[in-house]
Amino acid sequence: MIKVKKVNKSFTLFNQNNAKITVFKNLNFEVNPGEIVALKGPSGIGKSSILKMIYGSYIIDKGAIIINNKNIATLSAQEILKLRKTSIGYVSQFLKVIPRISALDVIMEPLLNSGDNKNNAYKKSIKLLKDLNIEKNLWHLSPLTFSGGEQQRINIARGFIKDLPYLLLDEPTASLDSRNRDIIINLIKAKSNRGVSIIGIFHDEYSRKKLNVREIDLNIETKH
Amino acid sequence: MIIPLLKVTNLSKSYDNIVGCKNISMSLYPGEVLGIVGESGSGKTTLINCLSGNLEPDRGKIIFNINNKETDFLNISESEKRKFIRTDLAFVHQNPRDGLRLNVSAGGNIGEKLMSVGYRHYGNIRSLATKWVNKVEIDKSRIDDLPITFSGGMLQRLQIAKNLITSPNVIFMDEPTGGLDVSVQARVLDLIRSLVNELNLTVIIVSHDLAVIRLLADKMIVMKNGTVIESGLSDQVLEDPQQEYTQLLVSSVLHV
Repeated sequence: MIKVKKVNKSFTLFNQNNAKITVFKNLNFEVNPGEIVALKGPSGIGKSSILKMIYGSYIIDKGAIIINNKNIATLSAQEILKLRKTSIGYVSQFLKVIPRISALDVIMEPLLNSGDNKNNAYKKSIKLLKDLNIEKNLWHLSPLTFSGGEQQRINIARGFIKDLPYLLLDEPTASLDSRNRDIIINLIKAKSNRGVSIIGIFHDEYSRKKLNVREIDLNIETKH
Repeated sequence: MIIPLLKVTNLSKSYDNIVGCKNISMSLYPGEVLGIVGESGSGKTTLINCLSGNLEPDRGKIIFNINNKETDFLNISESEKRKFIRTDLAFVHQNPRDGLRLNVSAGGNIGEKLMSVGYRHYGNIRSLATKWVNKVEIDKSRIDDLPITFSGGMLQRLQIAKNLITSPNVIFMDEPTGGLDVSVQARVLDLIRSLVNELNLTVIIVSHDLAVIRLLADKMIVMKNGTVIESGLSDQVLEDPQQEYTQLLVSSVLHV
């Protein structure tokens, strides 16, 4: 389970007259195993920031974020790296990879990095590429040349390939046509059915409904 | 609790009255890639030269812990130090010409590295060298050619092969993609990344290119005027920098 407890987060922009932007004051919520939580609110309110705080990419000013009984805010860099490897999957909004690496290798990488054997990683990746409806002639090409929707699906495959207890999804269904959106929705459901705690940002009502999410309205949570 | 492979405490080095690096402390764990960024003159190269034994620091401690054997790097005899550098460390220079002998064949460059750590059987040396030339995507028909006939990207890949063939425990890289044009850069980056993953390498990489650090390094430190002003996970330092200088550095990057 994920617990966000009394979290404050602000940004100080030293090079812009020390402007201080407060994003959260006393933010609290929990996500249970198997639950899908959707963060809701206008852009700029801090939806992606919440995912980044949980993943350890953003440092919080105050409070605690508890995952696996560990407080992210007090972990060292290598402890966070370990926790990510064993527990937290993160699908960012945009795919960031080194040029020249094939889609297949991009997807296999998280498995190989945690010591899975190549044959097994290959099989799992191929299955996911098929499930995600990525054409075979693209598998061995760099995803940087793919369309937005294809890149998005490669990014999802990379985030979904391992069986991790927590998943953070930053607009996984954006830039997809309805057929591919349904495929992603089913994959997310399957994760949830296996007890994965999921926090996501879903822009469309359709996805939220289909996934039967619990909504957290940041307009209410962040009034300050 | 895992023991750090490298633990540095209060390391300082100055050149007469000019500060090279000052009071540097850091830890590196097995399999981690650490990026060092900072402007020219910030002390990046001084730091890795001290850590790799190319420079003698004025003060501080450098402890390597490899296979449960602790080496107090600044307090061992010169001969022990030479041996340690030869077998456990590797240094990839920005300019491959600094790490290769240009009048010795490509295979010879790799072979002499193997001989330096005790390989004597010519057939073994030859087959291992061929394997590595292949691994860094140089056609094996070029193994007997002199490096002067190689392109910049090939030279860099040859230098990487020469450095990795003896399975060193810590690899230092000083701007490994610095002198290469971008298309070649991507290829060398890809090579480094795949070798890091495949061989679970522990690497310290100096670069002024934040994109290179973002793609390769797990952790990073930011240097300014010889000191470490910020450190942490690479994505954290780049996405939520806490220091004024780091914010300036990150916000100055041009996006294509």
